[in-house]
Amino acid sequence: MKFTWHWLLDHLQTDKNLNEIVDALPKLGLEVASVVNLAEELKEFISVKVLEVKKHPNADTLNLCKVSDGNNTFNVVCGALNVKAGMIGVFANVDTYVPGINLILKKAKIRGETSEGMLCSEKELTLSDNHEGIIELPRDSKIGLPVRDVMDLTDPVIEIEITPNRGDCLGVRGIARDLAAAGMGVLKDLEIIEIEGDFESLIDWKIDLSEDKKNLCPKIFGRSFQNLVNVDSPSWLKKRLLAVDQRPISSLVDITNYIMIDIGRPLHAYDAEKIVGNTLTIKEAKQGEKFFALNGNEYELDQGMLVISDSQGIDDLAGIMGGERTGVTNNTTKMFLEAAIFDPISIANTGRKLNINSDARYRFERGLDYDSPGLVMHYAASMVNRICGGTNSKIVKFESIKESKPIIFNPDNTYKLTGVEIENQVAKSILEKLGFLITINRDIWSIIPPSWRPDIDGVSDIVEEIIRINGYDYIPSIKLPRKNYIAKPAMTIKHRQTSIASKILANRGYSEVITFSFLNELMAKQFNGGFKELVLVNPISSELSHMRPSVIPTLLVAAKRNLNVGVDTLSFFEVGPIFKGDKPDDQISTISGLRLGSKVKRDWKNSSKDFDFYDVKLDVLKTLEAIGANINSLQTYENTSGYFHPGRSAVLKIGQKLIANVGEIHPEISDFYGFEKSILAFEIFYENIPMPRKVKVSRPMLKISPLQSVTREFAFVIDETTPAEKLVQIAKSTNKDLIREVLIFDVYKGKNIPNGKKSIAIKIIIQPNLETLTDDDLEKISSDLINVIDTKLSGSLRSQ
Amino acid sequence: MISELKEKLLKLLDEITNSISEAKNINDVEEIRVNCLGKKGTITSYLKNLRQYNEVSKREIGALVNEIKNKINHLIIDKKSFFKTQILNEKLLTEKIDITLTPHENETGTLHPLSRTIDELCAIFADMGFSIVDGPDIETDYYNFTALNIPYEHPARQEHDTFYFQPDQDGNRKVLRTHTSPVQIRTMEKLNLENFEEIRYIIPGRTYRSDHDATHSPMFHQCEGLVLGKNINMGHLKGCLIDFCRTFFNKEDLPVRFRPSYFPFTEPSAEVDIGCKKDIDGSLSIGSGEDWLEILGSGMVHPRVLEGVGIDPSIYQGFAFGMGLERLTMLKYGIPDLRPFYDSDLRWLKHYGFIPVDNPSLHSGLNGVFS
Repeated sequence: MKFTWHWLLDHLQTDKNLNEIVDALPKLGLEVASVVNLAEELKEFISVKVLEVKKHPNADTLNLCKVSDGNNTFNVVCGALNVKAGMIGVFANVDTYVPGINLILKKAKIRGETSEGMLCSEKELTLSDNHEGIIELPRDSKIGLPVRDVMDLTDPVIEIEITPNRGDCLGVRGIARDLAAAGMGVLKDLEIIEIEGDFESLIDWKIDLSEDKKNLCPKIFGRSFQNLVNVDSPSWLKKRLLAVDQRPISSLVDITNYIMIDIGRPLHAYDAEKIVGNTLTIKEAKQGEKFFALNGNEYELDQGMLVISDSQGIDDLAGIMGGERTGVTNNTTKMFLEAAIFDPISIANTGRKLNINSDARYRFERGLDYDSPGLVMHYAASMVNRICGGTNSKIVKFESIKESKPIIFNPDNTYKLTGVEIENQVAKSILEKLGFLITINRDIWSIIPPSWRPDIDGVSDIVEEIIRINGYDYIPSIKLPRKNYIAKPAMTIKHRQTSIASKILANRGYSEVITFSFLNELMAKQFNGGFKELVLVNPISSELSHMRPSVIPTLLVAAKRNLNVGVDTLSFFEVGPIFKGDKPDDQISTISGLRLGSKVKRDWKNSSKDFDFYDVKLDVLKTLEAIGANINSLQTYENTSGYFHPGRSAVLKIGQKLIANVGEIHPEISDFYGFEKSILAFEIFYENIPMPRKVKVSRPMLKISPLQSVTREFAFVIDETTPAEKLVQIAKSTNKDLIREVLIFDVYKGKNIPNGKKSIAIKIIIQPNLETLTDDDLEKISSDLINVIDTKLSGSLRSQ
Repeated sequence: MISELKEKLLKLLDEITNSISEAKNINDVEEIRVNCLGKKGTITSYLKNLRQYNEVSKREIGALVNEIKNKINHLIIDKKSFFKTQILNEKLLTEKIDITLTPHENETGTLHPLSRTIDELCAIFADMGFSIVDGPDIETDYYNFTALNIPYEHPARQEHDTFYFQPDQDGNRKVLRTHTSPVQIRTMEKLNLENFEEIRYIIPGRTYRSDHDATHSPMFHQCEGLVLGKNINMGHLKGCLIDFCRTFFNKEDLPVRFRPSYFPFTEPSAEVDIGCKKDIDGSLSIGSGEDWLEILGSGMVHPRVLEGVGIDPSIYQGFAFGMGLERLTMLKYGIPDLRPFYDSDLRWLKHYGFIPVDNPSLHSGLNGVFS
């Protein structure tokens, strides 16, 4: 919402200056977006006379000019085509800031000739985008004066952002009313001369709405005008409209726009002679009905959209935009003026469906002053008569009485809700200045909001009005009381798990990234997604159309972007959601990661070594262990998800619960993303990790043996297909009391090992608890082990 | 005769002392030791010859010889250890390595600045008795809008630039949540209305709007806050948020301004600005100066929202707030652009990220100083 300083002063009598008002507006909830005070910005620009113009000796397109401000003469190099001796232009001296080109002028030599300033275009002064030539002021303009005085640029323009509840401030008068209530001045009376009218209106209303749709148009007023002369608007009117970005068209149209900005009341003007018949009917459109709008577009309407028609067809899309056929033109001499109240919901729906944004729709949607149609008929008539002459008809109207239900208000509510202590008298005065009607019965206030505040419908609205005008600075600042006397964790177990996992992974070399939750269709399908219910109807682009079924693809894209700028090794992880469906439970939070490149970098000490499956498996195990998974109960299975290398990937489970996927990305997929080397990735479904119902904080007692441990090493030859892990488990199980650890230190296939077999070398750490073991004890442990491996795995000791 | 002998002995001591000090290496010292103190050594022989003297002389000379023997012994030990140290030092010099070399290693990873901010927020609000809750990214129209007093026709809806999914058979379409506020509703629905005194929640999470330019990302992060109780008023909102802003930006005197605003789900509503100074070059310093910077929205929970989840607004009232986490992060850590937050550029992550072990907490400090 834009308005000018003097426009505001039409409604507000005040001794405050512009800065004071601009400071007061945000305190009322009217956020100031900008204040353009050209008078201030352009104060250094002065009017000058061009004394002589000569060709620049070294440049065909430039001229050497001498300009005078009456006292001094300046040399100026100028490239404008319209520069000529005798003209009066706008001059910027050196050291002047030129806003249109964001530059402070310096004395300069241009192709060898000194230039002591600049003759300016409208663009350079930010008056318009016109950069065709320099400004030519009227020949009788005085020279040596600030151009703001010469050009009448004295009215600052203020733009404020209006929240959706404050439709009343979409007119200058509403803003003035708020300022007045806040003590920034006095609201002037709106000068309304009631004009009864000389003749019967040429057009009358007909409401063609069923009883249950009557609410779509509870009120509509109209009146006719004749013998009008639709001339160009007077310059004061044009200037005001231009200042607030309204294009002057013709005085009748300009008047309706002016009134809309002035009091926030949209109007529609018909050329009465173009209306076929003498009735305008308010009705619902039929499905598929066509409407030619003022903006030159044709719209196909839906059943139920509110329209106004004559006997030939639709003339107005109610509250949104008028029709081409019956709009006023420069030749209009008879006008019919409409001011109505339409249902904001109906207007919003129609506007959104047809995608028409107009100043009228904007205001209708936010709710209009219910009393305004009657008032504006007189307000507009005086303005039309003043500018276009003519005579006015009597008013034709349809109106249903709006029941205004008072809000029952206890003045203590203000303190209870906000902590603000305010005297009843002050609160009452604030509300009355805003136009509220208050009847006090004992301690209970019965409040009727003003007709222009349809947003007010409850006690908390009233409280807000009181403390808003009183000032939010007077809300006390109260510390939240400490409710528990012992500290309480903010995090749930899930948050702790991700927080710990993040630290573990970062310490292991992974950098945390955050990638989008959406990706393209192909990627979704590659990672077993692509479900219909997870497709966005209105994605930013087709690259971001599907909710991701896995974090890995978005990590792959992120990794590829880094490779493209020369990175060869990286590890990324992300804590984020994946989507299996559109229900809340279908959203699964994962910890996912990816590694590529060298685990060990080649340097003067080491030769390089790439990441492989086992590195990432270890990352996963370390992470799982840290976030409370029992590593011993993890089972490892082959991975069948499809996006991993079938031979180099695993699924980790606890019972039936999927805990993690880990492995090398399927070569077809890494190839698709443009990777030449293998990519290792994992995804941890940490929400599946079984957690004890009650977390036991105290630890079981630790028994430490004082006896030295003994190690023994064995190499077994077993079937190639037997998982190594199985050998370890069996070895452990042979003597659970004494065997503390079984470590694989070598895996070998090849020479001296039969085909289809492999050799696995293990180190067994035996920890005596009560007494030192004898040679016989140790011999028994060894022979038991060898026997069990033989019976359970058909494994034999590898011969030397 | 005794005095002659004494003189001889002292002379011998001088000679031996000299030869020890002139010894060139550990072998010379050993040779001297054998010559003096060995079985046939000069000093040893004096001791052996003591027998020939009377008791008085024997005691006198014996004491002197022993004293000389001890002195020489000490001198030899000292000299030997001197040579041993010399030998070790020479050996150590040969073992010298180039201490300027450094092995290459993969860098430690960093935590994303947004995670850092969320952690800082959690630490601050935990201290004020809040706990964290979360909710789904894919929401129903009801939770994202209707329950928050934003009916379908409401002009505020258009400002949300919502992402929609295909409607189901009944014509209901899900949305990507445009703010974290729907979790307020989900949280309040779960309350046991029979006995609850007060809740304090924060809700950090992903949010989505269909807007993509230099200052908007289709996915971004918000943190919602909700406090509900029997004696909570707008003064608490102000106190809580002033404390938050000052703690987060680590400035005790940070100016914080509350401005009337409008959100459909709060009444009264307030936008919160912090004081700052904008320089001509576009840089920004927080805390001092004439300008204001909007950082969060807040208000008293609208009675209609409470009624919608079955809470009696005449008994319970409370406040809610919401803030954009990218913006807070950018302001605090001087990150100029929004879009690199999601570009995963390793250089950016390393530059703006945080070391994983520098945990923000009230006792160790909230500002990431080591990165």
